[in-house]
Amino acid sequence: MEFVDYLQAVTDGVMQGAYYALIGIGFTLIFGVMNKINLAYAAAAFGGAYASLGVAALIGTGDDFGLPPLIMFLVSAIAAGLFAWIVYTICFRFTPDHYELATLMATVGAFFLIEEIAVHSTAGEPMDFPEVLQGIVDDPMIEFSDAFAIRGDLLTIFLLALIAMGLLLMLLYRTKLGLATRAVAQQRTAAQLCGISVDRTNATTFIIAGVLGGLAGAMIGAAVGVLSPLLFVPLTVKGLIVTVIGGLGSIPGAIVAGLLVGGLENVFLALRGITERDMYVMLLLFLFLAFRPQGLFGKKAVRD
Amino acid sequence: MLEITDIVTSYGKIEALKGVSLSVAPGKITCLLGPNGAGKTTTMMTVAGLLKPRRGNIAFEERNITGRDPGHIVQSGIALVPENRLVFPDMTVHDNLRTGAYSRSDDEIEDDIARMFERFPRLHERQEQHAGTLSGGEQQMLAVARALMARPKLLLMDEPSLGLAPLIVEEIFRIIRDLNAEGTSIFLVEQNVHQALKVAHYFYLLEQGRVTFGGSPGDLEEDEVIQRAYLGSAEQT
Ligand SMILES: Nc1ncnc2c1ncn2[C@@H]1O[C@H](COP(=O)(O)OP(=O)(O)OP(=O)(O)O)[C@@H](O)[C@H]1O
Ligand SMILES: [Mg+2]
Repeated sequence: MEFVDYLQAVTDGVMQGAYYALIGIGFTLIFGVMNKINLAYAAAAFGGAYASLGVAALIGTGDDFGLPPLIMFLVSAIAAGLFAWIVYTICFRFTPDHYELATLMATVGAFFLIEEIAVHSTAGEPMDFPEVLQGIVDDPMIEFSDAFAIRGDLLTIFLLALIAMGLLLMLLYRTKLGLATRAVAQQRTAAQLCGISVDRTNATTFIIAGVLGGLAGAMIGAAVGVLSPLLFVPLTVKGLIVTVIGGLGSIPGAIVAGLLVGGLENVFLALRGITERDMYVMLLLFLFLAFRPQGLFGKKAVRD
Repeated sequence: MLEITDIVTSYGKIEALKGVSLSVAPGKITCLLGPNGAGKTTTMMTVAGLLKPRRGNIAFEERNITGRDPGHIVQSGIALVPENRLVFPDMTVHDNLRTGAYSRSDDEIEDDIARMFERFPRLHERQEQHAGTLSGGEQQMLAVARALMARPKLLLMDEPSLGLAPLIVEEIFRIIRDLNAEGTSIFLVEQNVHQALKVAHYFYLLEQGRVTFGGSPGDLEEDEVIQRAYLGSAEQT
């Protein structure tokens, strides 16, 4: 492989890493606020993407009176936000808070429930995701040479993800809702004393994370071309890896780690092929756990 | 102003408060003294709504607030400066104060923050600094300022002088006096008996979950208060 091939692999990978980053942010947001892992998160996110397929099947996509392509992303985001809220209600709202395992196992249950629903309602077949991006962009969009180009579909995904992240940061740092979210994440008792409802904040955090996940789910559908329940486990694992590498609870960490994993993964893919790619990603995770367990942006030790 | 009647609060099977009754008069400084584990923090948390009493009654300005959630209680005019300060460590000083005003919806919040900065100049200098990087004394000032941002009529303070250097302790007590002189009623938990008796209009002794004394600072010898506040009384069963 020549240098320009590496460059192409990294560029494509980093742009695809945008949806890893979004899923990582979802895990990390929930962990930051509740100190809990929601393993059903990525599954609920794909649930949103499936819901957008359902809506598209009802009213069609494309030019004549169908769903405009970008609306697919919006529908997926909203549906995933709703599913995330349902997961919160079932797995966290009424599950005892002080048994770590209770909520964790509840989310494992929710994961399999969502997966089963997806398998049964599609007879286990992968579903074609409409070529929503082709309608808006050229492919490739920017051609620098025969060997290097920026793919229009990936660039669109990447820019959409950046906009979503920007909106999230504005929400967190510029609104009263964001103030409440940060307060609950940092000092739950003091947040309550200030009059903030922990339960409501938790629920909104799940919904916000869900919306980001739904966006990622539709992006993956658009980039891969199909949706399949077979994607649920790998994306959950990728999301968790990104969260750990970025530092649990750190949003900038999840963003950087998402792009990093995306870029490296594509290089592993180019060098070693699809069958070995994920082995190297796992190796990366173990390297981090051994030498930098707090992740890129995480806190070194836990504070009380 | 605040009437606590026969409250029982437990952690699981352990009863931390076994029927506590006391009252806080408007415009006054009332102190709650007692040895470690007596239930002082439990009393404060129960009033603030963080813990629900199993039995008994709490009334604030003649209104029943027993078992209401913390948001309701802060809105009715009671704010707690919690034990160990509990500032939001990764938020700026300024955002900590904004969070303190979370229960308000008026448009004077920034004016109040400016007033807090006049009262606590050291917070002013550090307004963009993360609260976790402040010194213990500065964090305590921030915790007080944050509680004041709710514009409370009654300020509850749980051991505000804990772990602070003598000069800072003096400053904290000066602030308590000032706030009271400006009309805020204060209900203070303290281990520093000497300072507490100097500012208190009225005080209670709490031992093993029960009120064992209530009176004015002149009513008991300071030595006896110290004895009972640190060690508990000998006749206690
Ligand atoms: N979270 C908890 N779970 C179980 N028991 C608790 C808990 N918090 C307090 N207790 C018990 O309740 C009793 C009263 O505790 P509390 O914290 O109210 O005492 P305190 O008077 O504030 O003591 P200190 O002066 O040490 O702050 C103690 O016996 C304590 O062990
Ligand atoms: Mg205490």
